[in-house]
Amino acid sequence: MSVRALARLLLVWVVATAVVCALVHRAFALHVRDAPIGVVVSAWSAGQLVGRWVMSREGARDAAIDASLASHPGATRVDEAVVAEGPVVSWSDTALALSFVPGRDGVSATYGDRTAFVTPDELLARQAYDHGVSFPWLQLSVGVDVPVLLALLSERLGAPARDVLERATLRRIRVVRTVAGPPPPPRTTARTMTDADLKAAAFDAAAYLARGVDAQGRFRYLVDAPTNKTLSGYDWPRHAGATYFLAQIARVSGDADVRFATLRAAGYLRDHAMVACGANRCIGDAPVVDVGSTALAVVAFIEVLGADLDASYALLVPELTAFLRSQQRPDGEFMHEYDRDAGHPIDVQLLYYSGEAALALSRAHARFGDPRDLVAASRAVARLTGPGWAFFGSRYYWGEEHWTCQAVDDLWDRAPDRAALDFCLGWQAFSRKLQYGPGDTAYDADGAYGFGPILTPRLTPAGSRTEAAIATLRAARRAGVGEAELGELEQQARRGLALLLRHQFRPGPTHLFDDPAAVEGAMPGSEVDWQLRIDYAQHAGCAMVRWLELGRPDAPEPALQAH
Amino acid sequence: MTSRPAAWYSPRAMLSRRAAWTIGAAKAVTAALVALGVFAGLPARWWPVDVPAAVLVALEAAAAFGLFSGARWAANAARFGAAVALALGALAVSCLAVTATWLSGVYGAVGRGGAIVLALVAALVLPYLVVLPAAQLLWLGSSGRRAASGRS
Repeated sequence: MSVRALARLLLVWVVATAVVCALVHRAFALHVRDAPIGVVVSAWSAGQLVGRWVMSREGARDAAIDASLASHPGATRVDEAVVAEGPVVSWSDTALALSFVPGRDGVSATYGDRTAFVTPDELLARQAYDHGVSFPWLQLSVGVDVPVLLALLSERLGAPARDVLERATLRRIRVVRTVAGPPPPPRTTARTMTDADLKAAAFDAAAYLARGVDAQGRFRYLVDAPTNKTLSGYDWPRHAGATYFLAQIARVSGDADVRFATLRAAGYLRDHAMVACGANRCIGDAPVVDVGSTALAVVAFIEVLGADLDASYALLVPELTAFLRSQQRPDGEFMHEYDRDAGHPIDVQLLYYSGEAALALSRAHARFGDPRDLVAASRAVARLTGPGWAFFGSRYYWGEEHWTCQAVDDLWDRAPDRAALDFCLGWQAFSRKLQYGPGDTAYDADGAYGFGPILTPRLTPAGSRTEAAIATLRAARRAGVGEAELGELEQQARRGLALLLRHQFRPGPTHLFDDPAAVEGAMPGSEVDWQLRIDYAQHAGCAMVRWLELGRPDAPEPALQAH
Repeated sequence: MTSRPAAWYSPRAMLSRRAAWTIGAAKAVTAALVALGVFAGLPARWWPVDVPAAVLVALEAAAAFGLFSGARWAANAARFGAAVALALGALAVSCLAVTATWLSGVYGAVGRGGAIVLALVAALVLPYLVVLPAAQLLWLGSSGRRAASGRS
């Protein structure tokens, strides 16, 4: 082939690809209408759709709507004005699933002479977003749940789902939602956020968790917000982490419900999960237990002591810290599991546990003064931020270090480690590169962490990284780090906190919940993932408490004082 | 009907030993990278990707073997492998670009992170499956013409 022929061929390819790209973008971008195409009016009662009408304008009155609302006392009228629409790809389930922006887009389907709408509210109520295409190896799921979408359309159009897919004309719709009632509060931003907002939000998060602690002391670990059903699963480290947060709020609020819930949750750890691990005691109920459960139980018990809830926990902590120390290798790393039947540690490393153990030992030393705990915590931090994360490219790739950097801060007054602080500053600088700004995505994601347009930003990493950013900021201030870097850290934390405030259910879209009061104060997994796990509220709440206890140069007294 | 000179079929005659080894090495590297990227790197099996990748790996590996061993069919195999690689590479880049464009049409801004990821994926495919096979086609084409015309 001659140079000229090949060049011509490649040029044709480049031009053709560019033209196709431009056409595809133009075709699939939303076509915004000057006036709404229609207004989908819904009546919601206890999270159930009890009436549906399509009107020509927002707020339009209709006898049928009024009658329906009257027959369902407490029902909420929601107007969703269809302001834009666009085509979808329906020949592939994957492409169809990815054709909708989660939480923003619904669908219209025209089948014969009938047109039906499935709105974002309905998809949220069914938890259909981010359940379309699963990537189990990444523990990730994206896109709309197509079977749920088709089932809703099928029901509404009175046609089999397969016919809807094959014969109906599907289009995505963008809606603007108006809920009857008082106007929503102004959008919270890093600039407008106040300490009072954070204090109320942290207390509400704790109140939500406290309501879920049963008489035995078990949390409602995972709750489906729309139906208020408790889902299966449990996890000791998260139980301990949630107990730690409750104890923090018990300490600063003195709220009786939170105090009693804290005691029940801590008691459940003590009475149902504290077992023999060789010569020591540890937390777990399986033949193989992990270090993280014990580490966070230590953190929780020390917080229980700090809140003056029950002094007897002072007797338990040394037994648990002895177990943690016995799991430490000579190089400072921890062996993360222990085989209780065989009576020996298992030298594997899992996410989070080493940082949690370092923080637990640091807190234990601060409380009880055992020098062995300080040595063990310092060695762990030195290992985690030094040889444990030293490889080619380690400056460009980071793990989840939120517990590690809280330990670095916790140790600073007793065993400062400048190299460890630099590690945390580097991690936070890396995180800032991944922090979304306003307008970076289709979501309300300013302050969240992630990349790409498809993944709905998760709120738990925002909570845990914000927690660590504030801890790093606290240590950095004491280390005399430059004002510019302190300012960046502070802004990063403020944006993360504002994001959490915007998304916490206070009270959230109550018309879509079976029992809004039951989930008030909870933190969802994301804008569209309303399965509420206890660590979501814990990380967000702990970040808020850290910020309130931080104190600022312009306000030397921390905003959150012990009750 | 005129018969082609025997030299046309001999890679030794149309390519120097160094050139044959250079192109052979490039083909071996391409085969290894495609095999690694698709069959070890991608976590799920999907025939529209797996079958073309397997065909490409087989063609490039065979061409590399032929070039290393000085087989008579090596030049044709190398040329055919390069053409297939170029076609599949161009198709892959176009699919990636159109998919990215579709996503930006549906979701709006892809964000800096998303744009970087998409650019990196394209950057990984372009050199090995567009630029390299295009260069091979040029080299093999000009060598073939030189051999056919009797020039060295």
